[in-house]
Amino acid sequence: MGKIWRVIDTGLRPAAENIALNRALLEARQAGEIPNTLRFLRFRPSALLGYHQSAEQELDLDYCRANGVAIQRRITGGGAIYFDETQIGWELYLGREDAGSADMAQVACRICEAAARGISALGVAAKYRPRNDIEVDGKKISGTGGAFEGNALMYQGTLLVRFDVEKMLRVLRIPAEKLDGKSIASARERVANLADLLGFAPELDVVKEQLMAAFAQEFDIPILPGELTAAELARYRGALAEIDRPDWVNLINRPAADRPILEASRKFPGGLLRVSLAFDARARRIKQVWFSGDFFVCPKRTVADLEAALRDVPLAEIEARVEGFFAQRQAELLLLAPADFAAVIRQAIE
Amino acid sequence: MALVRGCNFPDELFYSAEGNVWARREADGTITAGMTAYGCALSGEIVAWVAKKIGRFVEQNKSAGTIESGKWVGPVKAPVSGEIIAVNEAAAAMPGAINADPYGAGWLLRMKPLDWERESAALLSGKAAAGAFEVKMQAEGFAGCA
Repeated sequence: MGKIWRVIDTGLRPAAENIALNRALLEARQAGEIPNTLRFLRFRPSALLGYHQSAEQELDLDYCRANGVAIQRRITGGGAIYFDETQIGWELYLGREDAGSADMAQVACRICEAAARGISALGVAAKYRPRNDIEVDGKKISGTGGAFEGNALMYQGTLLVRFDVEKMLRVLRIPAEKLDGKSIASARERVANLADLLGFAPELDVVKEQLMAAFAQEFDIPILPGELTAAELARYRGALAEIDRPDWVNLINRPAADRPILEASRKFPGGLLRVSLAFDARARRIKQVWFSGDFFVCPKRTVADLEAALRDVPLAEIEARVEGFFAQRQAELLLLAPADFAAVIRQAIE
Repeated sequence: MALVRGCNFPDELFYSAEGNVWARREADGTITAGMTAYGCALSGEIVAWVAKKIGRFVEQNKSAGTIESGKWVGPVKAPVSGEIIAVNEAAAAMPGAINADPYGAGWLLRMKPLDWERESAALLSGKAAAGAFEVKMQAEGFAGCA
């Protein structure tokens, strides 16, 4: 099954259908019914939770309901995202032996670096940023996540072709929500899309072609066009019956109060440092953090990279992580100290 | 205790190399189960552990719950068939405990086995387990537990 890969495009679909296809194709790969597969997909406006997340904690449910944004749960890990027609999704379904490593971090790295090369071929300088982002000049252009089952795995990513940042801010409960009117500008500093970077939105066929070429080159394998098989469609119907239901969407249900958005600001000798963060009070983990304020850092992308390095970090390790981050790179902070970033986070939480 | 490429495998436990899980039979006939040190090393830092509901019956080598690490989600396979009778809520709240102490504080769940005598024959212990994990690590190109 490993010799020639297949590429399929399942088109623009509602979230439930796309997630049911995730389940169906992963199971079919695990059962040896299909070859390794690259799938492209698009979504009607949807808020997609990570498998272990709770809708109440991650989303503005009233906004989603009032604006026809479907709420769904992925089978992959990571954080909630807003996905609509302005993005394209890519997914790989592989036998684990074909991924080249049993170490899951290495598998993610290999796939993301290949995807970054495909995106770069479109004319932007995309790079993999551990653990799971692909970025251009510090701004995220693709988020990724995976799932495994027996001897098969799937790994998926988004690619922002055009993107409605404002809609994302309304759908997701992210640290921007209380940044008093600056949140859109703030989000634009952290998220990139191809249309803004290139000055035009590339044709989807061109995007798909480049991603496919990059994966074919990385895995040194021909990838040929195909269609969904009868076996996949049978599995898909079964999966859809389970997934297109409130039971699935509400599989994990935790109160929003356990995952607050917290803020703090403090004047240090190096300037005013403000933080807004999403905190998992139950696990005492920082889920996501955004810094802003009036301070000098060079290069400017240092802040975005620090935010990426601080995703999903236990509070107890925050000082060590910040210190480790600055120890590994050349960044000019003038009078600001690395410890100031950790201190303002502590202040927001305590 | 067996040490295979730096990963420890306590002698008193029973292992499924395929599922990368361990089981310990308790005096009352129930079992405690968890992930091996090797499984933890392959996963990296675990950020979520969600078990199936207490009272659910799970078959041997089928999913008893899910873990998440580095945005990967995958099943934890039951070492034997049985009913889930307890879940380590402390590990669910602080999944870092699973990496830190996979055979102790990081245990995952307790089960009432359906037929321990029969199904445990498929599990390995002691030298046999160490040998099976060495073969698995070799096949998977694993350098070693840090």
